[in-house]
Amino acid sequence: MKKKATALLLAGFTLLTACSSNANTNNQANTGAEGNAAGGNQKITVWAWDKNFNIAAMNLAKDAYVAKNPDAQIEVVEYAQDDIIQKLNTGLNSGSASGLPNIVLIEDYRAQSFLQTYPDAFQELGDAIKTSDFAEYKLGPTSFNGKQYGVPFDSGVVGLYVRTDYLQEAGYTVDDLQDIDWQQYIEIGKAVKAKTGKAMLTQDPNDLGLIRMMIQSAGSWYLKEDGKTPDLKDNAVLKEAFESYKELMNADIVKVNSDWSSFLAGFNSGDVASVPTGNWITPSVKASADQSGKWAVVPFPKLKNAANSVHASNLGGSSWYVLNNDGKEAAVKFLGATLGSDVALYQKLVTDVGVVGTYKPAAEGEAYGTADEFFGGQKIIADFAKWTAEIPNVNYGLHTYAIEDILKVEMQNFLNGTELDKALSDAQSQAESQIQ
Amino acid sequence: MRAVNHTIRNRAKLTGWLFIAGAVLMICLFYFYPMIQALLLSFKTGAGANLHFDGLANYKRLLSDKTFFTAVKNTFLFLIVQVPVMIVFAMMISVLLNDSKLRFKGFFRTAIFLPCVTSLVAYSVVFKYLFGNDGLINLALLNMHILSEPIQWISDPFWAKVTIIIAITWRWTGYNMIFFLSSLQNIDSSIYEAARIDGASGPRQFFSITVPLLKPIILFTSITSTIGTLQLFDEIMNITKGGPGNATLSISQYIYNLSFKYTPDFGYAATVSYSIVVMIIILAFLQIKLAGDDK
Repeated sequence: MKKKATALLLAGFTLLTACSSNANTNNQANTGAEGNAAGGNQKITVWAWDKNFNIAAMNLAKDAYVAKNPDAQIEVVEYAQDDIIQKLNTGLNSGSASGLPNIVLIEDYRAQSFLQTYPDAFQELGDAIKTSDFAEYKLGPTSFNGKQYGVPFDSGVVGLYVRTDYLQEAGYTVDDLQDIDWQQYIEIGKAVKAKTGKAMLTQDPNDLGLIRMMIQSAGSWYLKEDGKTPDLKDNAVLKEAFESYKELMNADIVKVNSDWSSFLAGFNSGDVASVPTGNWITPSVKASADQSGKWAVVPFPKLKNAANSVHASNLGGSSWYVLNNDGKEAAVKFLGATLGSDVALYQKLVTDVGVVGTYKPAAEGEAYGTADEFFGGQKIIADFAKWTAEIPNVNYGLHTYAIEDILKVEMQNFLNGTELDKALSDAQSQAESQIQ
Repeated sequence: MRAVNHTIRNRAKLTGWLFIAGAVLMICLFYFYPMIQALLLSFKTGAGANLHFDGLANYKRLLSDKTFFTAVKNTFLFLIVQVPVMIVFAMMISVLLNDSKLRFKGFFRTAIFLPCVTSLVAYSVVFKYLFGNDGLINLALLNMHILSEPIQWISDPFWAKVTIIIAITWRWTGYNMIFFLSSLQNIDSSIYEAARIDGASGPRQFFSITVPLLKPIILFTSITSTIGTLQLFDEIMNITKGGPGNATLSISQYIYNLSFKYTPDFGYAATVSYSIVVMIIILAFLQIKLAGDDK
């Protein structure tokens, strides 16, 4: 009896494995045939996150393209970023790209982990875009092995958004905040707190975005230039960033938030005097229409001692990629004709959505010089475009978020009194054992 | 005659097998096949799709992985604190609700069971907003002058753990209560009658009659709760994402991070998953042994 059951089980297994391998080949054959039959007139599917920013931008690109190619079918689908990453990973790992879109938005920090771990999954762009037309710091994350895979998009350029009315109350003008370093920022923050009772900024202790911005402003990263070797212990820039962060936290000028919505609430409700972050926050800052005229954007503070530190950095920019599946030619053509070269489209992106792209020829367009009444007539797009050109190029490598999770713990330890050298050398040894 | 009997019996056996063949096939396809694949995967290393067999490398890495041990420590802390509290709660509530003199029984039972019907994600998100720094809980405590400054329920390592424990207790107490209730209804009321005649007090009845008779259910609920807590994911993912600084990281959240947040390392993620399997087997075995169930 027992023998029979085992035999049955085994038979079942062989049947299953046979089935599954057959299914695979069938699938491939099918999709191939469909691709041929459909020819050029194929529907292009696009996945992205953030309705007010990326989706809105992609819809503008779609409209521009459809106006010239009435036959083109483009579907833009919104997913949360986490969902896109999950779907891409499971899809690409199973070897079946049939459920995946033609074009997908990927954050620059994660780009290399997709390009390198799924080498054949993405389509090279070839001549569809001219790489020298894009900001240089975007080319590292979007290319692999000397080939360009991504159309650089959102610059992620950072600025320091400040409330001019609070600053005035504390005795400062916008001019006092031009080109400051983090020490000066903390001093100003203390004055603001003393005079107005408002916190200088809001921070989520579980998100080290500020550290990332600080170290990139000095051309440094969590990894050495090879993108693989952890560079935490004895990294002078990282050390200074950690020290500045601790000073900031201990100066009692930080309102702690626990997630994105309480981060937004921090400045929308008028509780904080400044927001150091990426330019993609502009639509959210402008969401409180009653604060119009009270905001300005000044250059990002730099690290005081790091020699290379400049007043420009990047936070979480992203780029468009074409997947290596049916319809890739049409998708490449679409991207090349729109976000890859259309100066007029980039003007519309600025005026309608507030997107600062990284396509250099677009910066000469008229829209980039428009004054924004919300920011007291400041030409913020022109400023952002200028800072974009100064962002130091770093190799994000494969492990930004893995290392950051290690650093979060060590940051807590450091804030609670562990010596900095020990915290960072612990982080280094953990990173080395984790990254293989 | 004998031979005929034999063939009939054989045919009956075959029919039996045919009846369950579909189910067996499905179980093999959707349970055993993935389980074996996952076990094989746990011996492979490499990022994303570039996997290759690498012997016990993942298991060696597991033993020296600080983050993994933090996750195990957190998960066991939740287990040790939350499961006993919840089972005691569930037992007490079920005894109260089983009282024959109690009115509106149906209402109370439904109210306490209701949390189990809500979606895990939905309730987690609600908890996150309730316990936010500017959330309703802080607001209420401040207004009642119980606190002078808000508790950082989600951003402080200690309070984040407390928040998670409160959340899972709220969600699962009613679920366990149902098992206790159904079991209580099977206890013959004449036992209590006899005890009353013998002069046993309420607490005495509870500890000498109810608890011993509920033993199989206590065992059952504690094993299922242990398994549930070891697989704790939705609450952590939606309330704290494992933070601040890994203070609430659970093993399942770590598996998620390894697979999707970091550069995907499915091989190592499978290894960590199998560590949960081993832990569940050991714990369930211990619980059955400790409960002294001879059957």
